[in-house]
Amino acid sequence: MVAIAAAFVPIVVADPYEADPDLAVRDEDYAAGQRAVGKKDWAEAARLFQRAELRHPDEADLQNMLGYSYRNQKQYDLAFKHYKRAIELDPRHRGAHEYIGETYLLVGDLAGAETQLAALKEICLLPCAELKDLERAIAQYRGKPR
Amino acid sequence: MQARLFQLAVVFSLAVPGFLHADDTDSHAGPLGKVSFPSSCDPRVQPAFERAVAMLHSFWYSAGEQAFRDVLKADPQCAIATWGVASILMQNPLAGQGASPKGAEQAQAAIDEGRRIGAKTERERDYIEAVATYYKDFATRSEKDRQVSRATAYEALARKYPTDDEAQIFYALYLAGTQTQADQTYAAYLKAAAILEEEFKKYPDHPGVAHYLIHSYDAPPIASKGLVAARRYAGIAPDAPHALHMPSHIFTRVGAWQESVATNLRSREVAKAGNEPDEAFHASDYMVYADLQLARDGEARRAIDDAMKITGASPARFVAPYAMAAMPARYAMERGAWQEAANLQPLGSSFPFVESITYFARALGSARSGDLAAARKDAEKLEAYHNALLAAKNNYWATEVEVQQLSVAGWIALGEGKSEEALKFMRAAADLEDRSEKHIVTPGRIVPARELLGDMLLELKQPAAALKEYEASQQREPNRFRNYLGSARAAEMAGDRAKAAAYYQKLLALAKDADTARPELVSAKKFAAL
Repeated sequence: MVAIAAAFVPIVVADPYEADPDLAVRDEDYAAGQRAVGKKDWAEAARLFQRAELRHPDEADLQNMLGYSYRNQKQYDLAFKHYKRAIELDPRHRGAHEYIGETYLLVGDLAGAETQLAALKEICLLPCAELKDLERAIAQYRGKPR
Repeated sequence: MQARLFQLAVVFSLAVPGFLHADDTDSHAGPLGKVSFPSSCDPRVQPAFERAVAMLHSFWYSAGEQAFRDVLKADPQCAIATWGVASILMQNPLAGQGASPKGAEQAQAAIDEGRRIGAKTERERDYIEAVATYYKDFATRSEKDRQVSRATAYEALARKYPTDDEAQIFYALYLAGTQTQADQTYAAYLKAAAILEEEFKKYPDHPGVAHYLIHSYDAPPIASKGLVAARRYAGIAPDAPHALHMPSHIFTRVGAWQESVATNLRSREVAKAGNEPDEAFHASDYMVYADLQLARDGEARRAIDDAMKITGASPARFVAPYAMAAMPARYAMERGAWQEAANLQPLGSSFPFVESITYFARALGSARSGDLAAARKDAEKLEAYHNALLAAKNNYWATEVEVQQLSVAGWIALGEGKSEEALKFMRAAADLEDRSEKHIVTPGRIVPARELLGDMLLELKQPAAALKEYEASQQREPNRFRNYLGSARAAEMAGDRAKAAAYYQKLLALAKDADTARPELVSAKKFAAL
């Protein structure tokens, strides 16, 4: 067993099974969109992600990034639309649940945020960063003077 | 002229031994089933070409690729042989891993060669273009994308040539390849099966039809529909390792363990003899799983030890590493040897979901042996593998590892005396696992999560609830030793003596040829004797 095990190389890459190569690797627009996010050029990011969406309409991560780009431009309706699509594509997408929850807080919809928190509690029975972040955001929102 | 003909004959005789028919035997192998694939190639290579297609239908990768290349060598104008090379380099179309980057390069070269030669018929050119869709932009597309475009291309091919049975059969295969573990309506599988059932009526000895029917029924609620094909396939192509192994996918789903052991034993030996180490490991894992259900622990141990002597497995593909990690984990856990499970050593493969098997077994073994500190430590490893899989967008295996994490968290909580929390975790694990199907690389999850939930409820002295979970688990994982044992104990504890007796009888029947005196069998015999 040990001898055979030695023939294998330790983990350096994720397995190839069903593992979509990262969208940033296989789609130039998506990669450029991520760079635009890094520069906080939200309009450019949204434009690039939209172009990538034409080729990858069913990528939850891409929808999530579109939501993020619109959220930062305060275009909340579009942000909600894309976050919801991300969750529709992947109901266990932790990031999308967190970010749409935070967007609900931005528009003053505490109940909406709490719905997402409840969803994350179902998904993250084991601790996860997205749940903690949304809990923190909700706590801060509650603490703010209205 | 005569000299040229003689030269040609020599080339043929060297490259294509005996110009054999697909249903003949030759020096390389025996029968492979009956395949009819008309082509415009030199009539003298046609039998060898059809034999190569038969190998393709039985996923006989190394021999099949060589067979197609031999055909091309013998008849350099046989463009359709390049389709065969490109097709076989896609590897198992249902496994989700697809062609290797090197294989894709070789396949593209074959396709380019096929285009350069120019097949003499439109049909053959269409076949080449159909397989070419899979390799288009290979490096920048996901395997899922490739699978879908391949199925779409073959659907068009099948529509264009409605009387071409091979087109229908290959379309059904590639359609089945688009089935996801998350779709529990099995839409792609059932659509493929409908096509194949019609072909099966016409061609009961066709290797692809029987083979793909087995794949198309490889899910718990529909598995019994595949029994006819399963029992037929090994006889159709008895020299193809995969053909000998495949019936056990159905045998495992319906709990026909003796048949699974028998066919996998043959598969392993043929694979070893044919230098197909991945196939030999795969068959061994299925065989070990079956032996353990029959309480033939000695046989299972020998099968593991034999498998571990196999050399040459591909570290780039997960088939062999999966079996290497799974077999010892199964051996410990199916016997309830928790301390043994706790001491398993990781393989060090490059696949997070393979490594997680060992850490799952270790953590569960430690938790059930009372060493909670060790269990927590291994649970951290599981978390790291889960995060790695999430980061790689490998959602299927990430979820499988999450089920393992939840199960381990449940047993740690139970060890801490937090029974409510323990059940919450364990129930979540079982529910999550039920929402998708097991992968074809494995005969079954290392231990069904719902069975573990039954175990936990039994420990918490909730026998009625435990029995309910065990019986629910039987729907997806029938005829399992540990399930019958748990069911019997739960029924006994609940005071349902008739049901307990029935389950103990099932357990004893299952283990009638046991080669090990498992203590559970002693108590079962005592109960049955009362």
